[in-house]
Amino acid sequence: MSIGKNRNVTDIFGKLFKNQIFIPLAAMFILLLFNLVADPSFFKITMGYNSAGNPVLSGYLMTILDNGSELAILAIGMTLVTAASGGQDISVGAAIAIAGSTLLRALCGTNTRPDTLRMPIFVAFIISCLVAMAFGAFNGALVSIFKIQPMVATLILYTAGRSIAAWINNNELPIISEPKFGYYGGFIPGIPIPTPFFIAAAMVVIITLVLKFTNLGLYTQAVGINESSSRLNGLNPVFIKWLTFVILGACVAVAALIKVSRLSSINYSVIAKDIEMDAILAVALGGNALGGGKFNMASSIIGAFVIQMLTTTLFKFQVPSDALPAYKAVVVILLVVFSAPVVRDKMSQIIKKMNSRKGAV
Amino acid sequence: MSNISKKFKDMTDTGLLLTITIVVFFLMYIGAIVFQGKGFLKPQTFFNILNANAALIILACGMSIVMITGGIDISVGGVTALVSMSCAVYLDYKGGNVAASMLIAIGIGLAYGLVQGFLVAYLDIQPFIVSLAGMFFARGMTTIVNTNPFNVQNESFVALKDTRIIVPGMGSVNKLGKYVNAYVEIGVIVALIIVILMFCLLRWTKLGRSFYAVGGNKQSALMLGINVKRTKFMSHMLCSLLAGIGGYVYFLHVGSGAATHAQGAEMNAIASSIIGGTMLTGGVGNIIGTFFGVLSLSTIQNIVSSAGLDQAWWTGITIAAMLCIFLVIQSVVMARKKRAVKK
Amino acid sequence: MKSVISKSIILLMIVCMTAVFAGCSAAEEPEGSDAAPAQGEELITIGFSQVGAESDWRKANSQSMIDTFTKDKGYELIFEDAQQKQQNQITAIRTFIQREVDYIVVAPVTEDGWDTVLEEAKDAGIPVIIVDRQVAVSDEGLFTCWVGSDFELEAAKACAWLKEYCDRQRIKQDEINIVDIQGTIGSSAQIGRSKGLKDAVRKNGWHLLDEVPGEYTQAKGREATARMLAKHKDVNVIYCENDNEAFGALEAIEAAGRKAGSNIRAGEIMVISFDGVSQLAIDDLRAGKISCIGECNPLHGPRVRKIIENLENGVTPEKYEYVDEDIFSAYEELTEIQTEGKSYPVKIIGK
Repeated sequence: MSIGKNRNVTDIFGKLFKNQIFIPLAAMFILLLFNLVADPSFFKITMGYNSAGNPVLSGYLMTILDNGSELAILAIGMTLVTAASGGQDISVGAAIAIAGSTLLRALCGTNTRPDTLRMPIFVAFIISCLVAMAFGAFNGALVSIFKIQPMVATLILYTAGRSIAAWINNNELPIISEPKFGYYGGFIPGIPIPTPFFIAAAMVVIITLVLKFTNLGLYTQAVGINESSSRLNGLNPVFIKWLTFVILGACVAVAALIKVSRLSSINYSVIAKDIEMDAILAVALGGNALGGGKFNMASSIIGAFVIQMLTTTLFKFQVPSDALPAYKAVVVILLVVFSAPVVRDKMSQIIKKMNSRKGAV
Repeated sequence: MSNISKKFKDMTDTGLLLTITIVVFFLMYIGAIVFQGKGFLKPQTFFNILNANAALIILACGMSIVMITGGIDISVGGVTALVSMSCAVYLDYKGGNVAASMLIAIGIGLAYGLVQGFLVAYLDIQPFIVSLAGMFFARGMTTIVNTNPFNVQNESFVALKDTRIIVPGMGSVNKLGKYVNAYVEIGVIVALIIVILMFCLLRWTKLGRSFYAVGGNKQSALMLGINVKRTKFMSHMLCSLLAGIGGYVYFLHVGSGAATHAQGAEMNAIASSIIGGTMLTGGVGNIIGTFFGVLSLSTIQNIVSSAGLDQAWWTGITIAAMLCIFLVIQSVVMARKKRAVKK
Repeated sequence: MKSVISKSIILLMIVCMTAVFAGCSAAEEPEGSDAAPAQGEELITIGFSQVGAESDWRKANSQSMIDTFTKDKGYELIFEDAQQKQQNQITAIRTFIQREVDYIVVAPVTEDGWDTVLEEAKDAGIPVIIVDRQVAVSDEGLFTCWVGSDFELEAAKACAWLKEYCDRQRIKQDEINIVDIQGTIGSSAQIGRSKGLKDAVRKNGWHLLDEVPGEYTQAKGREATARMLAKHKDVNVIYCENDNEAFGALEAIEAAGRKAGSNIRAGEIMVISFDGVSQLAIDDLRAGKISCIGECNPLHGPRVRKIIENLENGVTPEKYEYVDEDIFSAYEELTEIQTEGKSYPVKIIGK
């Protein structure tokens, strides 16, 4: 569809189209346009006060910024994993359950309704981060050392993850009453913008710096494009693949902190359900090849917010949460079909033919 | 069986992995009899395992075929749920009849096979992504068809569901001193027929051999004059068709429609295939192995639940652990083989 | 070489297989006759298939069972969590039969679909006690007895409270706009509580704006309430069919910038809930966020134990046994409500 536009419009537009970041931006534009036509109340942002009497901004756009944050954080790790291994980690939802459960266990101990926390939230977060990274390392080892396809390797944790999460807390559902714990997934008093957005922004800054000042980005792309030639060039593909999974583990822990903080509790079978689909979708929507190789981080992050925008829009139009996957699946299929090399080749052939015919006339 | 292995000397990988599977199953079952005692000695316990897993056997057969061809299909669980719900709604709310509901099941399977097969084979999209989307689509679609779970009341369906095929001479005497016949459900018969059919298909037909060839080495398969795209397409077609049939067998076993039906069935099917000696990398696999893979998996589930490990959570953990072990075994076997080839 | 080894192993396996099966059919005959006298002084084994751990009520219910049937009291409890799936429960019951437990206790997920497996239990001579939700079976003889709550009465009491409250506050009955956040569809509590509400709506002239499923969970309760608040601007009563849904509803009300409370006139949204098991619900009641809670007593363990003791002594228990339940509220002026011509005291939770 965008190709049709491209043909007629100016050169600048053509250049923009060639840029990878165009894909998520175009999707965002379509969604915004749709909402503008269908119901402009989508854009309304109101200032209100929450139960604690703090000023908060609310509205659909704020919901997107708020709920899209976890997704953006996951998209960072998922992009790296995709680039290096040519596959995706489908256990992120289950891993969030594990990390969240660990966090609560560290904070509450065996008491499910604690009045005081057993340790500072930061320390508990470090513990859950280490656990999540360990599970990431497990996935990474299966993929890099044992050469199992990433999606199948992570299928193991996908099945067992929620069980492990339940087991960590003895199948209890601890509830934290400490209001400070709610800040991470809610609002810090006096600041009307949801905290998860700041956390996501911080993660984006960190990853930007890492990509800028280290060779991580270059190496992952090299491994993803051609593993054996990267080995010949002195890289260690096994280690780099493994490392991307560990980084994803850290991202999972941050997302888990936000998720658990939102509820101040956890529900093992529901928390972060189907989020793996959204995270993969964000990477795909960002125009990154799901088969590995080159990637564009900014594009993935915008992709994550666009996915959240899609979800929020669907919710707004009364689509029940259980039916959401069906709609998103259609989007995924359309995306992968349009980005498939076979289809692209066919399309460019058709365009060429049309152009040449035009030229002849 | 020994004749076959002589005939197919080139498939020693299959033979080796199959042997491991069968040994594991028997060790496990004997272990269960020793440690869990009386329950496992009753043939009905074994038949119950079959009854509960007839659908899984069928799903796993399809999964093995796709995996032998080098692909994967994780939509089978979703298709099962969609088939159950669609048939349930058709039977109870639309007043349909049983025969037509079977056609619905097969139709859903074929439609899935057509779309997924086309996307994978002719557009060259990763099978995992395609079937992941397929899974989410099926699950979402199931709730769109009907949100709430319900049991089917249609009389002829319930009669079919409750039909029991008595296995002579395998019954047992219960606490009250009454002799109870051992039985299997219709689904088990369907599953066994499909196992035999698929076994024959893989062993003695051109299509079956081309599955192995494409999964083993695409280049040489091309050189042998095999239509790789068509073969891949057919593998997905078969898998989804079996998912449709398996879905109906599942429906026949549970007699209800629910969006949560067959959750994790794709995982169990993959795990069964892998435990049964099918290689993820393609080219290696065996339906008999898959059959024993399902039995091993369900026996271990049965052991877990009757060992009083109370939380149902444990099942997920054991399956994952088992799968992990078998994956590593495979990876080691493959590495050895590669080294042997290099020498 | 390899193929010879694998060939011989396969052969060995086939021999094993036939041996095991021959052993099976040969061994089970004496096994069956041996088993009965060997038991005698042993522990009484009970297989308990629980729905899941979806709510605080459910967990209190499980705990009551676990605390009652302990080894030192002469029982062995096999506890199976079905994670909300009937299929898991049926599998669990089959496992119990296979293990030859003495009693099977089931808290069913849904009402129908139990005939086949209960018949198997009956064939095996194992008494089945149903707790909490009911089962709809073709033959009542398939289970021994049922213990649980009268859900319709709970609902009737809560609705009677709402009516009385409106009368005292001089709120016209037809100003009441209710949304029903339902429980898991098809469960006895959902059927009873929804029906009780509908009857009261008809009787009192309230407006029932919508009925949406909340599956007894906080997450679904929040989602459903948020959707309803956006859809119906004039809703003033949210009727949640358990406490966890009410917690979700309270969150959704706050997120929408509204206030939960009894003062409907001032634009507050009244939340009515059921169960009253967790301290959090009682705290919310005390804080005025939840206006009224119909109690649902989860402590079934002791009652089931009594039934089992009776059965052991050859006494046939009552087919249906209801547990006594209260109604909680923090509104001090209303101490007694009436429904169906009977009056019930209201338990006032002091501020």
